[in-house]
Amino acid sequence: MSAFRLTNDQWLAKLMAAIVPGALLSLGCMAVLGLFCHASGDARSVSAQFLMWFAIVGWLALVGSCFLFRSGRRAWAMLGGGALVVWGLFVILAKVIMV
Amino acid sequence: MKLRADIVQAYRDIHSWVGILCGLFLFVAFYAGSISMFEQPLQNWLTPATPLPSPVNIENTPELLQKALAEYPEAGRHYILVINPDRAQPARLMWPQDPTHRGHGPQDFMLAALSPDGKLVTAARRPSEIPFFIDQLHEQVGLPLPHTMARYFMGCVALAYFLALVSGIIAFLPALKKMLFAVRLNTGARKVWLDLHNLLGFFSLPFHCVIALTAAVFAFHEPVFTVQEKLFQSMQGVGQSAAHGHKAPENSKTRTEVAVVGKEMPLAPALLLATVQQQAPGFVADTLEYTAQRGKGKSGLVLRVAGHDARYPMRGATNGFAMVDPASGKILSTDYLPGHQSRGLAVLTAFFALHFGSYGGLPVRWGYYCLGVGGAFLFYTGNRLWILARIRREHSATTLSRQTRGTWVLSCLMTGCITGCMAGIALLFICAPFLPLGGTYGQASALYYAAFVLCMALAFSLGERLREPVLFCLAGLVNVAVAPVLLVSALFTGSVTLTGLCTAAITLLLGTFLLYSVKRSGCRIAV
Repeated sequence: MSAFRLTNDQWLAKLMAAIVPGALLSLGCMAVLGLFCHASGDARSVSAQFLMWFAIVGWLALVGSCFLFRSGRRAWAMLGGGALVVWGLFVILAKVIMV
Repeated sequence: MKLRADIVQAYRDIHSWVGILCGLFLFVAFYAGSISMFEQPLQNWLTPATPLPSPVNIENTPELLQKALAEYPEAGRHYILVINPDRAQPARLMWPQDPTHRGHGPQDFMLAALSPDGKLVTAARRPSEIPFFIDQLHEQVGLPLPHTMARYFMGCVALAYFLALVSGIIAFLPALKKMLFAVRLNTGARKVWLDLHNLLGFFSLPFHCVIALTAAVFAFHEPVFTVQEKLFQSMQGVGQSAAHGHKAPENSKTRTEVAVVGKEMPLAPALLLATVQQQAPGFVADTLEYTAQRGKGKSGLVLRVAGHDARYPMRGATNGFAMVDPASGKILSTDYLPGHQSRGLAVLTAFFALHFGSYGGLPVRWGYYCLGVGGAFLFYTGNRLWILARIRREHSATTLSRQTRGTWVLSCLMTGCITGCMAGIALLFICAPFLPLGGTYGQASALYYAAFVLCMALAFSLGERLREPVLFCLAGLVNVAVAPVLLVSALFTGSVTLTGLCTAAITLLLGTFLLYSVKRSGCRIAV
């Protein structure tokens, strides 16, 4: 274990990473999960409401834990990369399901 | 529990900054929110009695309805039958004057009753808007902004609040065992505040977690639903267009049927209630809300029965509801009927009910009131700690005993905001008996913000030594004054209600506490 000391020097970058790509990541997870449970997108349905809760709770969890990243750049890379992967997965899965 | 020291330190810093940023908004939200636990009884108490004849029997409702619809055909589009009329809903039958109005909050209603000789008597009015104003203060964290903007702002506050909770837990965990029950009341001021803050925060943690989560959901659910709609409905449109094509002719068929059959009279309310009672025992209906809709059933009416059941969590702040067939009384949808929901919806409802305290009836509401006021006090202790810590650091850093501008601004804001909020709400209760119609939204906001701005201005203009004693005295006196004013007005009008007595008792208690705290800490505040 390296002797890394966590500081809040880059708090703004970390927080913004959790808020912007973090939101995209949690929405992406919601989208993939929605495909698996055949969500209809109708806000009154149970699945849509559970997915909404999932997305917001996930986002809050990211906001709460983003300060544990070693640096702001790392936070952006991980969360942004995660968002890209998840949304890519969604596009591929959506194509597969549509066919 | 052992956490790395640097993580604890990082989260401790986050806790103090996030806390100071959202603490004052949260104070107003919690203080107003705890009062709005009793929005319904308050509205009932503050609304003046109507000069209408006493409501007709539930058995005679069809006669009233027939006469009202004959004279006011537009009422047929949307009308409400009240099962237990009270002051806020004083007539058996009422309909909104603007049927397109779908927002929440009080609106202008036409009330209909029958005179002893069987003539239709109507009156137009709306209930007191002061409780609704207090509820809006809660929803908009005390800011007079347009509703949508205020909701997103509230969402940001909720985000900061959640962050403060998480960081507070992490910062507090390592010292948990040592500090939990150690309230050191006879040591320095800072330690007293710190111990109170820790104790309150730890024991109301589940409540605060639920409130933070649900508040974030209330603020941000709309954009998430929009995303879902965009994502999944377009796919459904491609994949299941056949299903939609199948549905269309069914609709047109029912529409022609309506045209042919014409309007069938809905079931008489007394009978309907008995039928609903049979299907959902324990569910107490409050209102029957009829809406005319093309192509819905034989009578062309949609019926929503709103009511409560103290045994189960409810989706709304005061009730759950069932969709009922108005012609047969058969319950069509139990999605939001307390105790009859599907498992998934019941879980979701539980979250809402945990925010609204809409389960278990009155004892839970009082519990939520205490938790809400306790929460407000928690934020106050947090702010206090922040300022004391700043002053201490500045004292040790410089030999000058002057505080920096930032500390000064924050202590002014804190005192002004807290006393302004408490004095403003107390002022509303003082003025309510003298306002026609129990006070409109405009009057309520004018009174509240006048008191709030006055306290803020005083906080910024008074010197360090005078600020807190003067403002806390002011807030305390306004609160103490509520009880005699209510007593006098109750003697004049001759109506003493439990809600009025409770309000008088609580404001008296709070005011006395504020005055006492000024007296006790008079020597300590003057630094």
